[in-house]
Amino acid sequence: MSQRQLAMVMDLNKCIGCQTCTVSCKTQWTNRNGREYMYWNNVETYPGEGYPKKWQELGGGFDEAGDLKAGVVPSLQGEYGVPWDYNHDELASGAAFKPHVDPKWGPNWDEDEGAGDFPNDNYFFYIPRICNHCTNPGCLSACPRDAIFKRDQDGVVLVDLDRCQGYRYCIAGCPYKKIYFNPRISKSEKCILCFPRIEKGLPPACAQQCVGRIRFVGFLDDEEGQVYKLVKKFKVALPLRPDYGTESNVYYVPPTEAPPKFDASGKIIEGSERIPPEVLEKLFGKEVHEAARTLRAEMKKRKETGESELMDLLIAYKHEDMFRLDGNYYAEYAKSKGMPVIKPVDERYLSGKFTAKMTFFTKGAHA
Amino acid sequence: MKTFKTIMMLVSLLGLNSLMAQSLNALHVKEDLSKVSLTSPLWQKAKAQSVEVYPQTTIEMNDAELVRANEANLAKILHVKTLSDGKSVAFLLQWKDKTKSLQTVQSTTDYSDGFAVQFSTANDKLPYIGMGSENRAVIVHLQKATGTIFEPNNSGDVYHQVNTSNQNTFAKELTSYKNEVAKQGSGDYQRAFIAEGFRSMTQIRDNAEPSLMEMKYDKGMWSALLVRPLKSEHLSLQDSFPVAFAIWDGEKKNRDGSKLLSAWVGVSLDAKAKALALLDEVKGDASNGETLMMENCSACHQYKTVKNAPNYMAPNLSNIGGYANASYLKESIMEPSAVVVPGYNLNAHKNFLWYTSDEKGVRTSTMPPFAHLDEKSVNDLVAFMKTLKVEVEK
Repeated sequence: MSQRQLAMVMDLNKCIGCQTCTVSCKTQWTNRNGREYMYWNNVETYPGEGYPKKWQELGGGFDEAGDLKAGVVPSLQGEYGVPWDYNHDELASGAAFKPHVDPKWGPNWDEDEGAGDFPNDNYFFYIPRICNHCTNPGCLSACPRDAIFKRDQDGVVLVDLDRCQGYRYCIAGCPYKKIYFNPRISKSEKCILCFPRIEKGLPPACAQQCVGRIRFVGFLDDEEGQVYKLVKKFKVALPLRPDYGTESNVYYVPPTEAPPKFDASGKIIEGSERIPPEVLEKLFGKEVHEAARTLRAEMKKRKETGESELMDLLIAYKHEDMFRLDGNYYAEYAKSKGMPVIKPVDERYLSGKFTAKMTFFTKGAHA
Repeated sequence: MKTFKTIMMLVSLLGLNSLMAQSLNALHVKEDLSKVSLTSPLWQKAKAQSVEVYPQTTIEMNDAELVRANEANLAKILHVKTLSDGKSVAFLLQWKDKTKSLQTVQSTTDYSDGFAVQFSTANDKLPYIGMGSENRAVIVHLQKATGTIFEPNNSGDVYHQVNTSNQNTFAKELTSYKNEVAKQGSGDYQRAFIAEGFRSMTQIRDNAEPSLMEMKYDKGMWSALLVRPLKSEHLSLQDSFPVAFAIWDGEKKNRDGSKLLSAWVGVSLDAKAKALALLDEVKGDASNGETLMMENCSACHQYKTVKNAPNYMAPNLSNIGGYANASYLKESIMEPSAVVVPGYNLNAHKNFLWYTSDEKGVRTSTMPPFAHLDEKSVNDLVAFMKTLKVEVEK
């Protein structure tokens, strides 16, 4: 068990599906070296099949008894889709503009399609997805090499590339399919919650760049922080697919705000819900109804009295208030453990040499 | 062949199975083996001996497609030739495989064929066949049939990590950039590991266990070579020593624990070398053993069609006769905590802890010792367990 847990809250009522987070992550971490098909952060349209295709049906996670369930490793040609490039070089000699493979799927293949009958009851919303840095990670449980570990200082789940042998059981074990196989180096790689940035007190790239200001980042035990207040105090931020049993640490404020439905003559149906509550229940569990009630009650209160702590939190007047990170905490932690404070170029992720210093690996801790 | 099998089956059920351990006899050669290759004429002098390799069914992996692909696995025959020049030992393994499977850089679901040879660092007791056990480490030499594999982070060369689409080079410059990138990949996946049981396998990177390995596929048959010194940092191989083999079939998504593996077999470096007593088989009444197994073991262990125990409760013993040696089985019945491998199920199956650990990390098996059984009963049990294995592929 890690001692503290860093978490992220995403307010889906504010996500505009602009993919800025996707691109900020891609250009920082996954635009090279066998990672071309990886999206440590992607934004999906829901209802939709997502990335990898139909990830919610590929198994992994835990059953009710707490046993790891078997899963499937998605294929590049099928579920991910081969990243394609265009024949720019040939255009000058008169060739037709075409992709180098026949594209079959991609990270935003079914973007903005949604479901329902336009304009009466159609709907969709966006779900940005990163690794959930679970408290009970399916990837970690599945790894027969102990190559995946959860950091004591913040619960970030990382792959020790030194120990990883590229067996891909982690990918079958993760129900969110947020760990990827890098075929070029034959090892698994995943979102690292931008730990080199976090340790300097900077938010992860996806959160820093977020145009809609939907992302809050902070420690779950920081009772002054927005993350704590949204998750624990107001209980309006919920984990995605809690039924997977991995105890995610990325939380979502469910998308409760949508226009009402229209009837056949184009008139508003009063009190109708465009996003079916059962859809939200599938994604966020039964707690979603209470969260929606809380959100609406607070909105009403704000309208009537002008006061609402929750609304103030969600409006997020100042971007910097959305992140409660402390570079000093990490520096002190490193000092207390005799670990070197992070260098501008961080070599730890590559070398795996700190593996032995994790309590996860110390004898007796859980062996 | 069928009649012979039936006779052998009866013989083993009557407990008359051979008491001598299987032994691979190394042919002594004068030539320096450190340069030997798969095609070396030296191999023509050596006699091939058969070693059976069985599907690992102790634990089930969590990849649904892999489980499906390996459900009906049968055992295979490995044809092994062994040479020694007094300084090195060389093995030539050959086995049938209908498909040549390579892991490539264009796929997330390709798996490669491969082979491994395992040596024991302990000479008095056998390590657990599944990659050793605490204080009985094993050295594993592994080769997988792969295309080019790159080191993470290109050994620190950040410039040549960048995808060509993000490169500001064109035409000739781009070609030379691509050539430089290609140079940074190694064409082969050959590694040496040291392990003390599941989850503890660690790669040896400092060449403390040097080896020469080679794989070649031809007409439905893999040939594989391993040459290594008799003496190294962790091993001192002399006279007779135990060795074990494993093969992976990429077509069936084999990797890691999903493989075919042999029991420990003896290697004799010269004709005068004494066979290893710890590899000896036991004599017992297997049909009485079957009754004892039902009474004593089936509440926790599943084996073959006996599935009284819940899944994950304890290691599955369906093929235990194929890859466990009699002395190890005996030890496991009498002192289950003598070898406790770090369990596969600690995080994955929290309801069934195969062992507990104290604050010093000393592991105690959840299985109680069956030391109250008399010697005959133990021998009968072991004799029955040795019959627990699938058939050999024709």
